[in-house]
Amino acid sequence: MRVMGVGGGAREHALAWKLSLSDHKPEIFWIAENRNPGIHKICRDYKGELRIGRTTDPKTIVRSARGWGIDIVVVGPEEPGFHAIPDALEKEGIQCIGASQELSIIERSKADLRRLQWENNLPGKLLFRTFKNAREASGYIRKNIDTQPWLQNIVIKPARQSGGKGVKLIEDQQIYLHDEKERFKEAYFDSLQASMAAYSDIEDKILVEEKAWGPEYSLQCFTDGKTVLGTPLVQDNKSAHDFDSGPETGGMGSISGPDMTLPFITREEYDKSLKIVEGIVEAVQKKTGKAYHGMVGGQMMLTENEGPTIIEMYSRLGDPEAINMLSMLKTDIVDIFQAIAERRLSRLKLEFTNEDAAVVKVVAPNGYPEKREKAKGHPVQVFETNIKRNGCYLFWGSADLQEDQQVVTGGSRLLALMAMDHTLPPASARIEKTVSSVQLTDGWGLYHRSDIGTDRLLAKRRDAAERVRRLYKYREEHGILGSRMGWVPNLGRIDTSQLLLKEMHGPEKA
Amino acid sequence: MPGLIGFYTFGEGRENWDASHFIHYGLNALQGRGQESVSLATIGQGNTLHTLSGKGGVEEFFQKNRASIPKGFIGIGQTSSYLEDYLVHVKTPYEMVLALDGTTDLHENRGEATKLFARQLSQLLHSEKEPLKATSMLINKIGGGYSFAALTHKQELITGRNPLGVKPLETGSVGFDISAVASETCALDVMGIDQTGSVETGEVIMFSPEDIRGNTPATDAGNFCSYEYVYLARLDSQVNSLPVAKVRNSIGRELAKTHPVKADVVIGVPETALPIANGYSQESGMPQEPGFMRTGENIRAALEPTQKERLVGVQLKLNPIKSAVEGKDVVLVDDSVVRGNTLRNTVLNLKRSGAKQIHVRIGSPTLVSPCPYGVEIPPRDELISGSLSEKELANNVGADSISFMTAEELQHAIGLPRQNLCMRCFENGGAKR
Ligand SMILES: Nc1ncnc2c1ncn2[C@@H]1O[C@H](COP(=O)(O)OP(=O)(O)O)[C@@H](O)[C@H]1O
Ligand SMILES: [Mg+2]
Repeated sequence: MRVMGVGGGAREHALAWKLSLSDHKPEIFWIAENRNPGIHKICRDYKGELRIGRTTDPKTIVRSARGWGIDIVVVGPEEPGFHAIPDALEKEGIQCIGASQELSIIERSKADLRRLQWENNLPGKLLFRTFKNAREASGYIRKNIDTQPWLQNIVIKPARQSGGKGVKLIEDQQIYLHDEKERFKEAYFDSLQASMAAYSDIEDKILVEEKAWGPEYSLQCFTDGKTVLGTPLVQDNKSAHDFDSGPETGGMGSISGPDMTLPFITREEYDKSLKIVEGIVEAVQKKTGKAYHGMVGGQMMLTENEGPTIIEMYSRLGDPEAINMLSMLKTDIVDIFQAIAERRLSRLKLEFTNEDAAVVKVVAPNGYPEKREKAKGHPVQVFETNIKRNGCYLFWGSADLQEDQQVVTGGSRLLALMAMDHTLPPASARIEKTVSSVQLTDGWGLYHRSDIGTDRLLAKRRDAAERVRRLYKYREEHGILGSRMGWVPNLGRIDTSQLLLKEMHGPEKA
Repeated sequence: MPGLIGFYTFGEGRENWDASHFIHYGLNALQGRGQESVSLATIGQGNTLHTLSGKGGVEEFFQKNRASIPKGFIGIGQTSSYLEDYLVHVKTPYEMVLALDGTTDLHENRGEATKLFARQLSQLLHSEKEPLKATSMLINKIGGGYSFAALTHKQELITGRNPLGVKPLETGSVGFDISAVASETCALDVMGIDQTGSVETGEVIMFSPEDIRGNTPATDAGNFCSYEYVYLARLDSQVNSLPVAKVRNSIGRELAKTHPVKADVVIGVPETALPIANGYSQESGMPQEPGFMRTGENIRAALEPTQKERLVGVQLKLNPIKSAVEGKDVVLVDDSVVRGNTLRNTVLNLKRSGAKQIHVRIGSPTLVSPCPYGVEIPPRDELISGSLSEKELANNVGADSISFMTAEELQHAIGLPRQNLCMRCFENGGAKR
């Protein structure tokens, strides 16, 4: 059989690797925007080919798939889904594992995701408001900050995925720093408004939601639309530098195992998280009338209000979280894809190693994420025997294999190193011993997070989890889980969630 | 002794932050480390360093200079207990501003020594290809005990702690936008920044527009200032990852175990000794009661530069609550004894208020040597406990007994290995000066 993958990052390299291990012995073809050295090699070794092309262009993808006689396509990143690649393939009768355009709304629009949650009263919600422009956002907050205390600690996001615009987390707790925080927020509203101006098709451009705190984790799932199968929890680390400092990145490394949960998340919390993801899959299918077949993930946080809560949804696997999950996966991946394609996932049992934990660390060139031009174009040297000797695996990310066989950096996350061991800290230590096997030969620097998977960071996560857990358990015991009841001088009792529903539906329906 | 802050921002929109607001409140939290001189330096988009210095307390400085406070999205600040102790601004070869707590051994005089350090750092940033490595070598080469934060005209913040690690330095960050360092964690808290741990001894961290880089310090542990735990640091801070409040409590407990006395009530001398008295009371089972009320703002009497100011400090600070001590035998707990005159005043006040016996218990050993790293411990001949025996001292201050913790007991209470604690002020011949 012939399988084709789409996308050129470390997550896709891991998918290709897993395909290469399948008993079905598929021939492996790929389309990516960069010549990923890892995918390139696998395609060559498995009688296929890596072609460079626009992964968001349905014509390119369909033409290649037809030309190669592909039986099944697997889509790695989110962008192809946003651009209706799965839809185009299916129209041609080619099986595709990946959320179709309408379904991928759960990731494309964080605002629509929140609406979906509130309209269906699903668990794991956060308070939110959407705004047409900066003035509306600033005005609303200024007017309501005293009567709706959640507006003090907010996260500002583009309502729809937009040109690399990041999120801003702003706690406005100290009255003496209030003016400072307000000025910063309002300036960011302006800048979001400017970057969202191009989307004339959507009304709401700015999303403001309640800022939660607590440990984050991802629950990645396979689904055929009827059944949602969970995989081991993975925790990614978004800040560029050690101990969660520095700018937001796509993810600097992740941990999982040694079983289905993480050392600081309970089995009960896992089950609740899975229910939450199932609920969203069901709701978005109902809303769109489409069947979901592919991967879906909840980027979750344990919060004091509700316990497991959705931060955002993935309409695909996470990068780098996919590497953890696929490394622990024992079931043949082609069996999984076929079961999804034939809508018989309920009869498949997913198996994962329960002996080993997995640590993934991303190596990125200096300059990433803020000055990517500077991070781009540096020649890379890798000592593969060293990596193997330490029992580590390398997954290429933002890298380009040039004509002369030299690999150069692409400006984003260069590669990921993965190691497994009985527990997380020794796996982390093995990668630490190995990172110097990756170098840039022109003297430009590389960096990674040394703290991921260490006892010290795990202790910090455990501590955060325990503190949040005490708070949400209290709410559970008092029957106020998820409730936003409060009391405001002069107004008396208020219920912010009722207020939100009223504003969403207009007063008559609420 | 100065307190310092470094404030750094990342990400889109960073130009909208104003570092001076954060540093203003952060320095307020560090006011206990010094209230004589304040300075601030910031940099914004123009790559120009703006600095401002002035005398007095932090709030006074920021109020008085409201119109001329330097603005920018990165900055450093310093408050100091020395007169005219300001940030050092070096213009060439590599323009930068330096805040430094402690002393380098480049000169007898702290100010001169700091200037020489700043010049060497500037030279190295100008000429070295790997400034991080070079800075790390520099702090290994230049002795003394110091922590520092330098702000450069290239929007870099270079901060570190020399291998001795006698001076504290703590890191924090919040969201994806802000990172900071400060002498004490209480300043991070006040700035709304989450603590992320101590800067390690011998560690250098370099924030630049491209990235944050740190060396991997070769030294282990270090030689932490024990007086931070006894007196200097704020009660809500963590120093070297140890909560100060917890340490002061265990100092009190240790003191009760090793220097017991029968009395009716335990009274702590505000502010620093209150948690020590609390530990003493918990361990001994004798009740602790508030014994004094303060008038005016919190003054650190021991740090006041002149004798008269110190006495004014004590008298305003310590008005006895008569009913707490009247007709009672009292254990009076203090953190340390410097010149003895504040203690004499306190004991006298309590006796006039009707206390019967007064047994003084001190939560640290006798101070016998000045600090080689710049903490204001007066010269040897001004230190009362260095010259008199406990008995003579008790007579001198009018107490029925007085006893001090030994260095071993203090070390035990802090809970760090002896080789990781600096106790030179408690040791005869401890300091070179
Ligand atoms: N409501 C929230 N409360 C607390 N932290 C949040 C919240 N929303 C986002 N974050 C933080 O910001 C990060 C990025 O936000 P996310 O919504 O996942 O956007 P994206 O990954 O598209 O940039 C999250 O991983 C989380 O750390
Ligand atoms: Mg995310």
